[in-house]
Amino acid sequence: MADSTKLKSDALLELMKQHLTTDAGKQITKKIGLVYQINIAPKKIGFDEVTYVVDLKKGEVTKGSYEGGKPDATFSFKDDDFIKIATGKMNPQLAFMRGAMKVKGSLSAAQKFTPDIFPKPSKM
Amino acid sequence: MAMRELVTGGAACAVPGSSSSSNPLGALANAIIGSSSKTQGRLQEIPTSTAAPSDSRFYPDTNDHLSALPGSDFGNSLQQPHTQGSEFLSGFRSANQNGFADAWDEIQHQNQIPPHFDQFHGPVPAALPQPTLDGPPQRVLSSFLHSFVGSSHGSIPFRPTSLPLLGLSEGDKQCIRDRSSIMARHFFADKSEDFINAQVNALLSSLEIDSDARVKGPLPGRFQELEDYWNESQGMVRPGAPAVDGWITEYSQHRAAHGDPDAWARSFEQQHGANGWASEFEKEQSQLTSVDQMRGVNMPNFEAMEQTRMLAHTLAQNNDPKFQNSKFLQFVSKMSRGELIIDDNQVKPATYGDWAAEYQQQYTRGPSWADEFAHNQLSHGPEQWVNEFGTEREQHGSIDDQWVNEFSKLHVDDWAEEFEQQVGENSAANWENAYDEFMNEQVAAKQRSDASRGVYVFSDMNPYVGHPNPLKEGQELFRKGLLSEAVLALEAEVLKNPENAEGWRLLGIAHAENDDDQQAIAAMMRAQEADPANLEVLLSLGVSHTNELEQAAALKYLYGWLRNHPKYGTLATPELSESLYYADVSRLFIEASQMFPKDADVHIVLGVLYNLSREYDKAIESFQTALKLRPHDYSLWNKLGATQANSVQSADAILAYQQALDLKPNYVRAWANMGISYANQGMYEESIRYYVRALAMNPKADNAWQYLRISLSSASRNDMLEACDSRNLDVLQKEFPL
Repeated sequence: MADSTKLKSDALLELMKQHLTTDAGKQITKKIGLVYQINIAPKKIGFDEVTYVVDLKKGEVTKGSYEGGKPDATFSFKDDDFIKIATGKMNPQLAFMRGAMKVKGSLSAAQKFTPDIFPKPSKM
Repeated sequence: MAMRELVTGGAACAVPGSSSSSNPLGALANAIIGSSSKTQGRLQEIPTSTAAPSDSRFYPDTNDHLSALPGSDFGNSLQQPHTQGSEFLSGFRSANQNGFADAWDEIQHQNQIPPHFDQFHGPVPAALPQPTLDGPPQRVLSSFLHSFVGSSHGSIPFRPTSLPLLGLSEGDKQCIRDRSSIMARHFFADKSEDFINAQVNALLSSLEIDSDARVKGPLPGRFQELEDYWNESQGMVRPGAPAVDGWITEYSQHRAAHGDPDAWARSFEQQHGANGWASEFEKEQSQLTSVDQMRGVNMPNFEAMEQTRMLAHTLAQNNDPKFQNSKFLQFVSKMSRGELIIDDNQVKPATYGDWAAEYQQQYTRGPSWADEFAHNQLSHGPEQWVNEFGTEREQHGSIDDQWVNEFSKLHVDDWAEEFEQQVGENSAANWENAYDEFMNEQVAAKQRSDASRGVYVFSDMNPYVGHPNPLKEGQELFRKGLLSEAVLALEAEVLKNPENAEGWRLLGIAHAENDDDQQAIAAMMRAQEADPANLEVLLSLGVSHTNELEQAAALKYLYGWLRNHPKYGTLATPELSESLYYADVSRLFIEASQMFPKDADVHIVLGVLYNLSREYDKAIESFQTALKLRPHDYSLWNKLGATQANSVQSADAILAYQQALDLKPNYVRAWANMGISYANQGMYEESIRYYVRALAMNPKADNAWQYLRISLSSASRNDMLEACDSRNLDVLQKEFPL
């Protein structure tokens, strides 16, 4: 938290990390069973990206590229767009159409990347 | 629908840059669809028609049909007749497609018809005396063309008429010639070829258009070939890909021949705005969806029709008159309108209503031509699609650019394969929804962008405007917990007194409690403008920005709270204000809390700060300390609950929310948070009930709608998605009572 330019997605992925340790999170791991790599850029896709791996095989969220081989699908987003997708404000397919989301890897794996795998942040 | 597309295939048919007279033809097409004497089924759906149609009644009813022409009062009643025009495709997103055609018609009307056009023709006299043909060329031409349509009702030979000089360009003539011959074959389908040619020739000679020999005449050999392919495919022999390739190449050639696609794109954009793209998109979508579903097990009948229709449409855009005249094209367009059916590999005239069933039968017996077509369409479609959208790049800059590149890099076959694998998983529905959302987003885009820029968006039709004391009323309503009403009253107040900080502040709080942080932030920013040192405003802004995960902004306002605080202001060091570091700010607040440990406020701010740094245990501790000092603060209970929920202690969170709701039963935010906590525990049914409850109190809580949708699909309640998308609370409340 030392610098104030942190990503919104950090908060959400932190929540995701915690969430995957709960019973509901384990259900998701069981249901999906895929590894996603997520590249998040503060302003523009491809620039200053922060990489996370959401491993829905093991039920982990880690920072940095995937080291266990090839992820099933890799996504690139802008910070804001990732939040919109994870909270259901934007449909992933729509995001893909508009270029707000880039996908590499298996499309069928990508299709399972839906808002319901993410926990929702609560509001104060 | 098929026919209108044939006729209004305006983009490809109109010659760019010419003062195209295609608009009357567009209107004409609508007229035909509304009044063709062949289609009983359609007629029953036309509002102006009476029941039990028979041929004899078309005479007396002509007036009605024609008065329902879009041209007669376009601008207000365009939609209705159109959407009912064709029963065939009505199951297949026809409203949208029609919308697209409408849009085209409308544009063409608006741009090219002098205003008095709409005064023209009340009813065109049924007995067909030629209408008065004077006035400006557009008017003359359109009334002339209408009388041509009129002649179809009674199958009366159409008499050539002398017309004043219309000044039609070559392009116009070409267009009229091609289209009228197609149209004539549609509405004189029950007449002989000679009769049709006579009719068309009469029309064309009146307009001084050469009725080129090419317009009539039998099939040349080349198209015989196509027919052979057709027959072959009917005989279960795989049709050679070359046929389809041929069409597609031909299609693209003709597209190219009609001029610079960029020009077309630009003018379309100009006339139609960004939504135009959306509807175009939508159209492409139906293509994709239908292809997808076709490859699945169940092929809805309409899709079959749709495929044929598109084939017809594609063919119709080929401007070669020979081709337009070919029996093959007529065959396909008849297919597309359901006038011919294929039964046991034999082409038969349709019995209406049975068409679909019979087609379905036919289909299930083996791969039909439609399937083949779908196949080829699939592998070629996306390329066209990319080309088409490539033109958009220029307007939308680099992101789209990259996207198009990325898209074209995909192996189309892989894509198709994977797409097919997804058929069982509702992906078609997802794609469809994606487009729907895209449309909605376009509509809401402006509002949203205002809100996200921190501009407050006022409600329409506010009953409290003009109220003698809206602030008092708003405070009263707020106290009673009627948040949405309070919002309206307070909006009236700040409209009356834009500098009233208290009005804005309470408005902001009402929005926050109503679970709308965007509006809360917008209102609070106005409050802060009016009163920059208001502590409550600064804290609210800090909290709302924290909720929106906007850490830098949140930190700024929370530090502002400290700096402006009479007791703690001395702690703030001026040099900090420029570049804020979380560690410095939190250190200052810890100091402050040690100065006055009995001050609940400082613990609250500290709790919010720990939320920012995701030190949830410390945050929970701070809020619990504050709650000991102020146990009846419902928003504090909610803050505690939200913090617990975000540190995955959902069960505890629910207890805290319950406390908040006991103190303030209409606290929408707490209801929505309840839903979130249940959803995060995988208890989707429960979460749905809480979301619905929250939405019943504030239907404008967009977040809750989005979360509701997710919970509905997670709970496999896809049957309720429609109610959710149309925001039908009555249905939802009945289904999910709390």
